[in-house]
Parts: sequence; C-alpha cells; structure tokens
Amino acid sequence: MFIPTILIISFVVFFIMQLPKGDYVSSYIARMQAEGEVFTQEDIAALRAQYGLDKNWVMRYFDWVFKIITKGDFGYSFAYGRPVWSVIMDRLGITIAVSLTIMAFTYLVSIPIGIYSALHQYSPGDYIFTAIGFLGMATPNFLLAIILMYLSFTWTGDPLLGLFSNEMLQEGIHLYNFGEFLQRMIIPTIVIGTAGTCGVIRTVRAQMLDELSRQYALTARAKGVSEATIVYKYCLRAALNPVASGLAGSLSSIFSGSTISAIVMNLSIQGPVLYEALKTQDTYLAGTILMTQAVLVVIGTLLSDILLAWLDPRIRFERKRS
Amino acid sequence: MEEKKIENDGKDIVLDVRDLRINIEMDEGTLTAVRGVNFSIKKGETLGLVGESGCGKSLTSKAILGINEKKCKTTGQIVFDTDGRGMVDLLSLSPKGKEIRQVRGKQISMVFQEPMVAFSPLYTIGNQINECTRLHITKDRKKSREISLEMMKKVGIANAEKRYDQYPHEFSGGMLQRALIAMALVCNPKLLIADEPTTALDVTIQAQILELMKELQKDLNMAILFITHDLGTVAAMCDRVAVMYLGKIVEIAPVKDIYAAPAHPYTQGLIGSVHKIGTKKEERLFSIEGTVPLALNLPPGCGFYERCGKRIEGVCNVKEPELTELSDGHAVACHLCGGCQGCAFGANSGEEAKKDAE
Ligand SMILES: Nc1ncnc2c1ncn2[C@@H]1O[C@H](COP(=O)(O)OP(=O)(O)OP(=O)(O)O)[C@@H](O)[C@H]1O
Ligand SMILES: [Mg+2]
Repeated sequence: MFIPTILIISFVVFFIMQLPKGDYVSSYIARMQAEGEVFTQEDIAALRAQYGLDKNWVMRYFDWVFKIITKGDFGYSFAYGRPVWSVIMDRLGITIAVSLTIMAFTYLVSIPIGIYSALHQYSPGDYIFTAIGFLGMATPNFLLAIILMYLSFTWTGDPLLGLFSNEMLQEGIHLYNFGEFLQRMIIPTIVIGTAGTCGVIRTVRAQMLDELSRQYALTARAKGVSEATIVYKYCLRAALNPVASGLAGSLSSIFSGSTISAIVMNLSIQGPVLYEALKTQDTYLAGTILMTQAVLVVIGTLLSDILLAWLDPRIRFERKRS
Repeated sequence: MEEKKIENDGKDIVLDVRDLRINIEMDEGTLTAVRGVNFSIKKGETLGLVGESGCGKSLTSKAILGINEKKCKTTGQIVFDTDGRGMVDLLSLSPKGKEIRQVRGKQISMVFQEPMVAFSPLYTIGNQINECTRLHITKDRKKSREISLEMMKKVGIANAEKRYDQYPHEFSGGMLQRALIAMALVCNPKLLIADEPTTALDVTIQAQILELMKELQKDLNMAILFITHDLGTVAAMCDRVAVMYLGKIVEIAPVKDIYAAPAHPYTQGLIGSVHKIGTKKEERLFSIEGTVPLALNLPPGCGFYERCGKRIEGVCNVKEPELTELSDGHAVACHLCGGCQGCAFGANSGEEAKKDAE
C-alpha cells in the first residue's frame, strides 16, 4: 500500500507542476529580461538543455523517479543551484522540530480544555474557552502573528522575528542559547497551534458530552464506579477516537499549511521554501517537498490507524476478520 | 399510612420510598415527571412497577441509586436498609460521594433495558464485571477474577473462561443480558432493580432470562424492583404490583388482587388489553385510547381524567384522588373507589364521591 500510494502521489504532483504555462527557464528569462538582459533563441534552448527541460514531462518524471530509486538523487534545484536534497536537509530538522512542538502544544492544551468544557458544560469556564476558541478560529493566523509580534516588541523591544537570532545563525544552536530558541518558539507555536487547538477542543468537548450521556456511563455509575474512572477509563478513550483519526491531517497541515504565517514570522521552515519553489517553477524541489509531505501523511495515517486500533477493540476485530 | 407500615414490620423492609418527586427544568417549563411516589419493598420480595412509556418508571428507579442527571431535581426520601449503617436516606447522600458509591453495585444494583449498549465497547466483559468485584469485594486480582468467573457461570454463560476475555461486540443480545445480570449480582446485592430487562430480547430468550432471575433471586435471597410495560411478565415474576400513571402510583396491590379485582380504571384498561387474544404484541400492550399527557402545567384533578371512561365531571377534574387502602395491601387512587372500603369498584360509588367532593 505504502509504495504505490507514494508513486501515484508523486506522479500527480509532477503532472500538476507542469500544468502552468512555461517552466523554470521561461520564468527565469522573464525576470532577466525585465532587468534588461537580452536572450537569443539559442541561449534559451541551451539553458533548457542544461536543465534537462527539453524533454517532455513524462520522460522527466521517469528519469526523476529512476534516479531517486537507484541513487537516492532527488534532482537539482534550479533556484538554489544545489541538489534538492541538500536544500531540504537545511530545513528538515528544524521543520520537524517545530511541527512536533506545535502538535504537542495543540494536543496538550486542547484535550484537557475539551474535557474541562464537557464536564462543566455551560459553566463560565466553558463559555470563556468557547469564546476564545471561536475567536482563535476566526482570526487569520498571519494577523495573530503580527499582533503577537507587535505586543512582544512593545513589551520586550524584540519582535522575536524568526527562529534564530543573528548570533545564533553565526554560532549555531548551543546549550547556552537554547533557551532563547525556545523563547522564539513561543509565538510561532501559539500562532500556528491555536488554529488546530480550537478545532480539537470542539471535537473533544462534543465527543465527551456524547460519551458521557451514553448508557455505558450510566451502567458504570450504577455499579459504584467513581466519576473520575468513568471520565478517564471509559469516556475519554472513546472520545479520543476522532482526534486520533485527525492526527494524519494535522501532521501534514502543520508541515505545510502554515506558509503564510511562516513568511510573516520569518520562520526558516519548509513552507516558505515550497512556496518559492512553486512560484519559480523549480520543479524538482517543489516535487520533492510535496512528496515528503505525502510520505508524512501516509506515515501519519499509519500512526493514527495504529492508535485507533489500540483505542477501539472493534477496529482491531474488523481488521482481523478482513 | 406508609409510616405506620414501617413501624409495624420495619425489620423486613429493604427499601422505602416516600413522597418521591422529580422535577425537570426545561425551556418550556417544569416537567413534573414523578409526582409523589410511595412504595416499599420487603426482603426477598419482587415488586412490579408497571405503566406506559414516559410515566416515570426509569426516573424513579434511577433516583433510588442517585444516578439521574443533575437537572432532575429530586425530593422526598429513599430509605434503604444499608449494610452496617442501618436505615439511611439515600437522597441525603451526595450523588458523587463515597457513601452512595458503596451502595451502588454492592447493595443495590441495576440491570438495564438495552444490554447492547449497557457495556462499554472498549473493554472486555470480564474487565467490566471484575471492576465491580474489585471495587466492592476484594482488590486481590486472582480472587476477584475467580468470583467474577463463578458468577458468569452461574448466569449460564457457557465457556466463561473464554468469554471473560471477549468484547461486548462478540456477544449476542441474550448473552449480554446474562453478563449484565452477572455484573449486577456479583456482589450479592440486597436489592436488584431490573428496568425492563427483557424488552430488547427475543421472546424465547425473554423467558430464559426471567427464569434465570427468579432462580438467582431464590439463591441469593434478594428483593427485586421489576419494571416493565408488560403485565404478562408481572404475573410470572412479581409478588406485588404498583401501577404508575403520569408520575404517580395509581394502584398498588398483591399480584392476585390486581388481576382478580383491578380497582383503577387505568389498571382495568391495562388488564383488559392484555387478555385480548390474537392481537399483535404492540397493540396488545396498551390499547387504552388516548396518549399520556406530558407532565407540563398539568391541570388540577386526576391525571387520567382525559382518557378515563368512567370520569365524573366536577369531581375528577377538580380534585386529585389520594392513594387509599381498599383492602389489606391493596390501595388505589381513584375517586370512584376511594372511601368505600372493601368495595371492588361499584357502579354507584361515583355518586358518593360526588357528595364527598361537595
Ligand atoms: N433527561 C431527561 N430530560 C428531559 N425529560 C426527561 C428526561 N428523562 C426523562 N424525561 C421525561 O420524564 C418522563 C418520564 O421518563 P422515564 O424515562 O422515567 O419514563 P419510563 O416510564 O421509564 O418510560 P419507558 O417505558 O419509555 O422507559 C418522560 O416524559 C420523559 O420524557
Ligand atoms: Mg424507562
């Protein structure tokens, strides 16, 4: 399942990439011409040949896949003038770190709030969380980013732009400036995390309310089980089901969906690179990033399936039968 | 009247419900779902609670365990003969507190109507039965497992060792109901509340489950509050019957008397409809004309007034009849029958009632 899925995705990605008119060379020439350079037809053809763009896209696709499989070579980024993989590796570590932090933040904050809201339905706390939740969902991320950076600037004199300070960029991340790095993670985490947080809160709250009103909760209460056991042993486990199946989506959306916020906050993660690559028709780079994401979605789905099977024996049972 | 009874043979009484009222606040107003219910159950006795859908049977039974939703405002007294602490008003205990939790499942337990949804799908049957054993009997894993297994065998679950580790979705409805009964009885309770325990099951399985309950009752010497729609099963199961209508008990009597001399027009209707042979089950259950009104802004007078074939205008829609004793253990709340002791519904008692009201 795993490999065909990824092959199909990569093919579709490649197909879509070549749909817009032109290619990297034509957009490159357009830029150069705007700056007053003159190109002859031969120059253009030579450039195309040099980048391998003179062949048709299906050929190029198979070339590309072949090289990935045989040599682990993901092609060449026109814009960076370097192999695609090295461009990606620049940011892969940090992107994964940021994504995981944001995911952890999302779930660690929203699941307890969701439980609280369900257990104290229509209490002031529930209303406050609901209000904040909707506000957070309705506010565009980039706007929230700007507001938070402004607040940070007025309070501390530093907008905390980017994940690294200038010194960090020169000296690299060490133990002594790790604290600062964490500080710089705060705003991005809040900005990118809140969007998902609100959704998860709503889901957990609704699910918990639903589960708490189920007959089995009443049965448990009738046999003298404490409220805490009812909530945590029975209801929560059932309520987390849809959250677990949403895991795959959130993994990839955090990876790519936060491009605008990342640009606004000058985060050196993958999103903005993909955005640039798509704009300049840097085919192999864009293709590879999209494919990494596809792989992540597949991995996420796998993880969430495992989690679901662990949470719900009925799913295990169906698997065994089929 | 109830008070006196307790003084007379207080030793035998397991549960005494006094003036139980349950109001539910809703957007449309206050729903007076249970309106002053009185009954008591003796050791080893089976009391049937019968009535149409929505008359408040389940609310009453859940109130005994204190497991109604918060919005159900409950007043009155639910006096239970607890282990060790004597007579305790369960209503005075905090519904989430430790005391009531030691009553639930151990001294009073409950079997629900739909076994299919009564278990959590996420844990094995054994886990869920054993939870009860471990809460109330022993923390020792091995011992409690043995006790649970023994009870599973006792309720007729074949292959109990294997079944213990299976999930609810691997059980049939009848087997689940057996498991639910095992869970209810594993701590040897004094009182079992069975809320329509067989309604969701096939007819043949219904009979088996009822038989099982009777056997176990004898073995364990417990009292049963048996809730049902079906007067047929009442005859087979119960010692006494309380007939409920619109949140009130309208008639309460030993089983024999209810069938031989039903005093309330509603009870008469119920019994009449049971005896019509050859009709389909659905129709047979309740073929009294009209429907139960919703207990919102009830008019004064008898709750059954609108549907009653024997109503007396100017009496029944003015004053609500009280539960009055007709003969030993047989009481009825009806203007037609009240006042004339020992009379099993006479045709001219209506006139007397009218005089009374004036
Ligand atoms: N949680 C609730 N919220 C609002 N109304 C309720 C609630 N529970 C019960 N009621 C109402 O209270 C009345 C009595 O309900 P109850 O469940 O006790 O009926 P019942 O006699 O058990 O009926 P059935 O035979 O259908 O089980 C009904 O009119 C019902 O609509
Ligand atoms: Mg009911």
